[in-house]
Amino acid sequence: MVPVARRNLLAEKGRLVMSVAGVAFAVLLILIIVSLYRGWSGASALFNELPGDLWVAQAGTTDPFRAASSLPADRLGELERIEGVQAVIPVYARRIGFENSGEDLDVFFMSLAAPAGLPLAGDVRERFFPAPGHVIVDSVLAQEAGLETGDTLAVLGRPLVIERVSPGGNPIFELGFLNGADAEELLRLDDYVNFFLLSAAPGADLDRVAAAATAAVPGSQTSTSDEFAQAMSELVNQGFLPVVSVLVALGLVIGGAVIALTTYTATIEKARDFGVLKAVGASNAFVYRIVLQQSLIVGVIGSAIGLVASAFAATLIKRGVPEFVTDLRFADAAGIFAAALVVSILAAYVPVHRINRIDPAMVFRA
Amino acid sequence: MNVRPLLEVRELTKVFGSERTEVRAVDGVSFTTDAGEVTLIMGPSGSGKTTLLTMIGALLRPTSGRVLVDGLDVTALPQRELPRIRRQLVGFVFQTFNLLEALTAQENVEVALNVAGVTGDEAHRRARALLVEAGLEERLDFHARDLSGGEKQRVSIARALANHPPLLLADEPTANLDSYHGHEVMELLRDLARKEGCAVVVVSHDPRLYDIADRVLWLEDGRIKDAGTAAVPAGRALA
Repeated sequence: MVPVARRNLLAEKGRLVMSVAGVAFAVLLILIIVSLYRGWSGASALFNELPGDLWVAQAGTTDPFRAASSLPADRLGELERIEGVQAVIPVYARRIGFENSGEDLDVFFMSLAAPAGLPLAGDVRERFFPAPGHVIVDSVLAQEAGLETGDTLAVLGRPLVIERVSPGGNPIFELGFLNGADAEELLRLDDYVNFFLLSAAPGADLDRVAAAATAAVPGSQTSTSDEFAQAMSELVNQGFLPVVSVLVALGLVIGGAVIALTTYTATIEKARDFGVLKAVGASNAFVYRIVLQQSLIVGVIGSAIGLVASAFAATLIKRGVPEFVTDLRFADAAGIFAAALVVSILAAYVPVHRINRIDPAMVFRA
Repeated sequence: MNVRPLLEVRELTKVFGSERTEVRAVDGVSFTTDAGEVTLIMGPSGSGKTTLLTMIGALLRPTSGRVLVDGLDVTALPQRELPRIRRQLVGFVFQTFNLLEALTAQENVEVALNVAGVTGDEAHRRARALLVEAGLEERLDFHARDLSGGEKQRVSIARALANHPPLLLADEPTANLDSYHGHEVMELLRDLARKEGCAVVVVSHDPRLYDIADRVLWLEDGRIKDAGTAAVPAGRALA
């Protein structure tokens, strides 16, 4: 078959380039927004990575990042004696604003004051349990403050050596993990802790353990790690998802409009050609196929470029803006590509409608 | 033996508008053409030549009358059948060539074959053979916009013959060509049409076309005033 659609598009290379760029930009915008949303949602994964199953918190606490919680430290023994509890880790957690090397930082510090001898997996110890006088920071904080492993971070005047920069991070809060002794001194909670993180024994009934824990600490509530993660996801979804949905819809409309405009213009310009094809006996299906191909060519090339450009753009932007934490997923890219194809097909509707009205007898007019 | 004419036009009439605005563009035209015959329809501007041609080519519905191509009454067919009739029974040659500018000469012929469902190597081979026969072997890969007027009309003739139609319709095929190329194109049209066994109907102002015509019809005010062979009807002025 003669590639009429391709030839028509290539006849106006400048317009083709601008149209493909327009679609690519729309796809890039959509994928970046979706991957940013994924990055934000990823903040809740932390709760499932920490070494524990149940969080005992002051009643009314939604999650450690949004609500303060204060519990008497002397309840530790009570909690340890609950049947089905394997270990109890006092948790200190607070947001601290401080100045480091002339730069204002606002970091959420957390400390898991694990009892000595508590068996922990190597990677868990590496990620969350720094040695005394050390701190583990996430890559967002490290990048923003220009810190590397071995550098010193002065938190409220207390120098802490950066033991490790954890990969990842999230744009909601910058995160650092302190040693238990350092946390006690920095946060000055004396006889209080913020949370107790309980590890349940294998096969233990979590509901029963949670009820016993709540009873053991007056004025407390007990949540599972999943519930805290869920609360965090809801926070992100409530604040971000409506915005994401609107922006994605706008991106699809813009991309669709670019494709429709290109195909429509190419069709109008070639109205006589389509008239000639109809005059020589082309069926409606034959000419519709040409219009649809034009639309799909712009859509497919623009989307493919947009997807590749998104990966580059996400990397480049993150270098300048550390909070730009994205999570590019193949499934999202595939979904957006499929959506772009659907939009391309829909965008062909108007030009096809226009072709319907072309009278083939027009070709006899000079 | 009673041989059926390839094209039979019977009392063909086209009326535009109604009552006070009514115009009878074609008014009761009848004629026949046989295979291999070139019929030239002449007449002043506005005499209804092109309207007559578009009705014969199944591009315009007549108000009344019939057009039979190879015995098939195309005026009785439903609208959806007409594209098939045009690709199977009719080839068109236009005054302004009407080539697809974005395509090469070869592709312009090939696309007419694609329209009729002929694709791939077969379409490629047939398009090439027609263009070689039209003397365009050196121009196969030239874009339509890069061809001269005479070359464009040769491509147009090759395209019109691509699907071996029994009827070839040409609308002012020499109007945009100089004398030399006009003559050359008309000879090509006649030779290829005879070779393919087509009936050819040409509408034109151009008296040079008498050379290749087997019959001449004079159309005026939508009616045939004279019918004869290769001689300009006496007293007829060409607009």
